[in-house]
Amino acid sequence: MNRRLWPRGLRARLLVAFVLVTVLGAAAAAWSSAGSASTALVTSTEQRLTESIAGQIAAVAPQLTYPPDQTALDRLRAAVGSNTLVTYRDLRSADGAGVALVTDAFRTAVRTRNRLVTQRITADGRPWLLVGTPVTITALDGTRTPSGIEVYAVRDLTGVEQQLDRLTRSAVVTSALALPAALLLALLAARSVLRPVRTLRDTARRLAAGDLDARSPPRGADELAELTVTINEMAESVQSSMASMRRMQADARRFAADVSHELRTPLSTLTAVVEVLATSTDQMTPDAKESARMAITETHRLVQLVEDLMEVSRFDAGTAQPRVEEVDVDRAVRDCLRARGWLDRVELVAPNDITLRVDRRRLDVIVANLVGNALRHGKPPVRVRVRTDREHVWVEVTDSGPGLPGHVLPHVFDRFYKADAARTRTPGSGLGLAIALENARLHGGDLTAGNADGGGARFVLRLPREGV
Amino acid sequence: MKRIFLAAMVVLLAGCGVQPSGVTDQGEPPTGVAPGVTLYFVDARGELSPEPRGTDGLGTITEALALLLSGPGGSDLRTQITSTDVTRVLVDTEPGLIQLRVPLATYEVTPLGIDQIVCTALGVHVQSGGSRTTRVRVSFTSDTPESDKERTCPLIR
Repeated sequence: MNRRLWPRGLRARLLVAFVLVTVLGAAAAAWSSAGSASTALVTSTEQRLTESIAGQIAAVAPQLTYPPDQTALDRLRAAVGSNTLVTYRDLRSADGAGVALVTDAFRTAVRTRNRLVTQRITADGRPWLLVGTPVTITALDGTRTPSGIEVYAVRDLTGVEQQLDRLTRSAVVTSALALPAALLLALLAARSVLRPVRTLRDTARRLAAGDLDARSPPRGADELAELTVTINEMAESVQSSMASMRRMQADARRFAADVSHELRTPLSTLTAVVEVLATSTDQMTPDAKESARMAITETHRLVQLVEDLMEVSRFDAGTAQPRVEEVDVDRAVRDCLRARGWLDRVELVAPNDITLRVDRRRLDVIVANLVGNALRHGKPPVRVRVRTDREHVWVEVTDSGPGLPGHVLPHVFDRFYKADAARTRTPGSGLGLAIALENARLHGGDLTAGNADGGGARFVLRLPREGV
Repeated sequence: MKRIFLAAMVVLLAGCGVQPSGVTDQGEPPTGVAPGVTLYFVDARGELSPEPRGTDGLGTITEALALLLSGPGGSDLRTQITSTDVTRVLVDTEPGLIQLRVPLATYEVTPLGIDQIVCTALGVHVQSGGSRTTRVRVSFTSDTPESDKERTCPLIR
């Protein structure tokens, strides 16, 4: 069976099943009644024909001379009707073309059984009834002996067949009449089943689309109503857990923002103090000088961390706004590298005259972060390539180091993710790539991490030319 | 599902029309041919005696009784029925009973003569395929209770 031809919808399946069951039932009922009627019809017709032939023979038999001569046989044959064969030893009286249908086997059966027998046969596409009988002599004590006279009659059953055909036709018509009724019932049944299913589907769709208020009122007390209630409960619990999760998330963000904000004021003071300390390290002992330098470095790191945290908090709160202006990408990247003194350590390939509408500071942050990472974790030479097509500008940063291990790749942009647990004390807040990604997304672009063909890590920044 | 439907249709169509059959038994064959008729006369010892007559076939009860009423002919049997010119007997057969209207009065027939009539009629009836338990009522021309008796033949039981 072809799978594709089989209807897939619930409604179609219900319809087909309903109609099939009804039509099969009607057909079976019609067939069995037509069958028993036809059997009865054939049997009664056979009986009628046989009895009439036997009656005709019995009526004329006492008038026959015995042993019969040809005249007697002709008389008997005429009494039985046309298509009749009467035999007595070598004598034979036949009439009608149907006589040829009497087979030797049938004659043998008549002779050996010594009974009145019939057989239905089909010849030339028409049904016939063969009737064969010996004529017996009854003695006064009731014993019967064959007289040697045998009568074979052939009767046409075409009339019966036509009656049977009419019966069959009416049976088929009856079955066909059941079809529209079954269809109507099936449609009604399908509708009553499918309406709540459709309501449920719509509700589930709204839930999936994010409308957690979507509910469908349960009707009745059947399995579908139970399902509706269950789905409503599920939506309820999803809604409440989503709400509490959002609240917890918002709390955590606010906490991070508050903490970083609170840290900034004491940190500015600390920075000022450290600056003063830095100017007076000359008079210190070497030990104290070392401690002071460490204090200065760590304070700068702390300031960087707090600033990064505040930046991330702004992204999380959705308050980060790009200050878009017309920027020459080549110039911007070159300025970024020059400002950090990386120009001689980085190969820059950038076509001139690519302008983009971006926030210059954020582009600088992204490029500085990617190149800084490449210099810090990868090996030189580090390449920065700027490419462009009609819709996007790509900035590709590739190093020649060992590349990013497979287990690291999915977490590269996670906050505070450290690829090597032993290397905890690297400069940098652990938020750099996360911030870079957020910045790229803020411009409607993207930032992806991967490995170059040569083995080094490759970060690709994609920015739309049209800007935001 | 489709296969079931197809099978149902095939069975349905196969049930149509007159199907050929084997040789079927339909009962007793017809009977009634005989080389002649048997008449009942009275022999020398005064008992009923069947006498076969070679005629052209069995014939009817009426024909047999006509022969009986004509007498035993040249044989050494006798009859206990007074001979009459009118030998026509009216026969009325219904299930289980043969009614005979003989052109005789009660006094023209002895009881043995009545048995002659009954046996001859019943013999023809049995040889024509009739039941052996059929009774015979003989109606006489004179008004008598004998006419209402239902009789059987002592030789055919």
